[in-house]
Amino acid sequence: MATETGEPTEAGETEADYPGADRLFDHRRVERLLRGSLYAVAGLLLAFLWVPLGIMIVLSFAQNPVTLFPFEGLTLANYRLALASESMRQSLVGSFTIASVAASIATVLGVLASFALTRYRFTFRELYRTFGIIPMVVPGIILGVALRIYFQSLLDVLPGFTTVVLAHSLYGLPFVILIVTARLYTFDESLEEAARDLGADPITTFRDVTFPVIAPAIGAGFLFAWIRSFEDYIRALFLAGPNTDVLTIWMFSRIKQLDAPELNAVSSLIVFGVAVALAVAMNYGNVTGYVAGTVAEDEER
Amino acid sequence: MAVGDPEETNRAAAVRLLSTRYGALGITTGPALLWIAALLLAPLTFMVVVSFLEVSPISYEIVYEPTLANYEGLFDSTPWWDTPFFTAIWLSYGIATVTTLLCLTLAFPLAYLLARRGGRTFKIIIFLVLLPFFTMYLVRAYSWVLMFGPGGVINSTLMSVGLTDGPIELFNYGVPAIVVGLTHAYFPYMLLTLYASLDGLDFSLIEAARDLGASRVDVVRDHVVPLTLPGIIGGSLFVFVPSVGAFITPRFLGQGKIQMIGMLIESRVVGTYSIGYASAASMFVLVSIIGAMIVAFRYVTIEDLGGG
Repeated sequence: MATETGEPTEAGETEADYPGADRLFDHRRVERLLRGSLYAVAGLLLAFLWVPLGIMIVLSFAQNPVTLFPFEGLTLANYRLALASESMRQSLVGSFTIASVAASIATVLGVLASFALTRYRFTFRELYRTFGIIPMVVPGIILGVALRIYFQSLLDVLPGFTTVVLAHSLYGLPFVILIVTARLYTFDESLEEAARDLGADPITTFRDVTFPVIAPAIGAGFLFAWIRSFEDYIRALFLAGPNTDVLTIWMFSRIKQLDAPELNAVSSLIVFGVAVALAVAMNYGNVTGYVAGTVAEDEER
Repeated sequence: MAVGDPEETNRAAAVRLLSTRYGALGITTGPALLWIAALLLAPLTFMVVVSFLEVSPISYEIVYEPTLANYEGLFDSTPWWDTPFFTAIWLSYGIATVTTLLCLTLAFPLAYLLARRGGRTFKIIIFLVLLPFFTMYLVRAYSWVLMFGPGGVINSTLMSVGLTDGPIELFNYGVPAIVVGLTHAYFPYMLLTLYASLDGLDFSLIEAARDLGASRVDVVRDHVVPLTLPGIIGGSLFVFVPSVGAFITPRFLGQGKIQMIGMLIESRVVGTYSIGYASAASMFVLVSIIGAMIVAFRYVTIEDLGGG
């Protein structure tokens, strides 16, 4: 039996007169060592996740925007420069609009599909579910190119705002379906039966009973679809026209030119914005549950 | 409301429709089905068709006559493996494999810690993991652009501290930088998928096995890994598939020295609109992904992938 730190093996139990003490002592020491190294690994990983972002934030306040040394002092000029940029503001508004429209479409389609998947048994239900998830798994480059060829060469539709929104609404759909079906599986259907017994029609039942209960899950699904759209570059690249303003496309061209001062500031602002939104969301709802799909268990706790 | 109010009759019609089985099924499944058929199945099918057709390089007109020319074009060289396509695709699979293994090794201890610890430790760690996860992919890739490179943060810091005289090649742009960037980008997917399956694990089983004399290695091999297999496979798929098709990370962290398959396809479409070549190249990516998913679905269901 191989153990990590030479803990006595079964043979040790038969030889000493008082085997327990040794084993117990060793066990505790190994346990402590393992726990210590687990925390050390966790710490290193968090550092790995955070160091590049942290350095980028520091650089956004630095006079010298590309390297830490030699350090030339702090400034807010980068932020002033970024916020004054008209093209940045336009593409930010463009991305907000695209994400909001696309996520709304994805939410409506996804909520309806989730009801079908959880409330009805029908032929090809598993197939339907699979195809509902696939847009999330197809690499962006493939979906982007396929949609571009389809729109341009088959349908004669030029790339632009509509094509980006359509692509993003498809991309966001699986996130809504996953989150909302998970919630509907644990939904107590006797609530709906009670409403129906009391004379409510399906629409009233949905509006007054079902919707208020599953609203947080729908909100989380919308948010996920929104974020996916907002941060997408590759699908937007193929489907946006020359006049479609998209923040990621604006940023991409700046990174290509290594235009660090503006980029550092805009990127840091995004990190701050996400941090605030996430902190608020975690205070109000079970974000981890929605992300990791453990909604049901957490709600029973 | 008065009888005959048009709004009321519309509503009554909707209620009547929702009360029948087929009406309700049609209303709930229909819209998403339309989207999937029109925006996923039709474009992908058209792409398959285009990969077998010739496209005029001047007018971009598609000639509807079956041909294998696009596929021959992918390997159009002697020796046949010395083409941009073949180099790009094996490099993509290699990089994606290394990235997946790296993510798996790194994420497992952290996921285990998260599943065993509640309260404040959990909340703090999960916040620190989720924040980069929700931060734009492009921002995270960019943060590594600053770190790497001959004059990047890592090299310039090492030189200022005096640990090295010139820039170190390992911290220049290239394959190692791409692997690090991809690991950073997709690590949270692996972590959250693993965490979801470890969180459902009954840890009293492990204690029981330990009490009965199983070593730690035995327990991990015989209980933890088999019980969390759906999480391991799901997480690997979530890292491997986007890594194969990655575009932004290799574009910026390879700085022209490395071409992965996503970059090759992009350059052919955006540059010359060679959609025949791009479609044929995409087929290889698509087929390998479908293959990986078929293998994965022998062990997991599609819901495990979402953690649901």
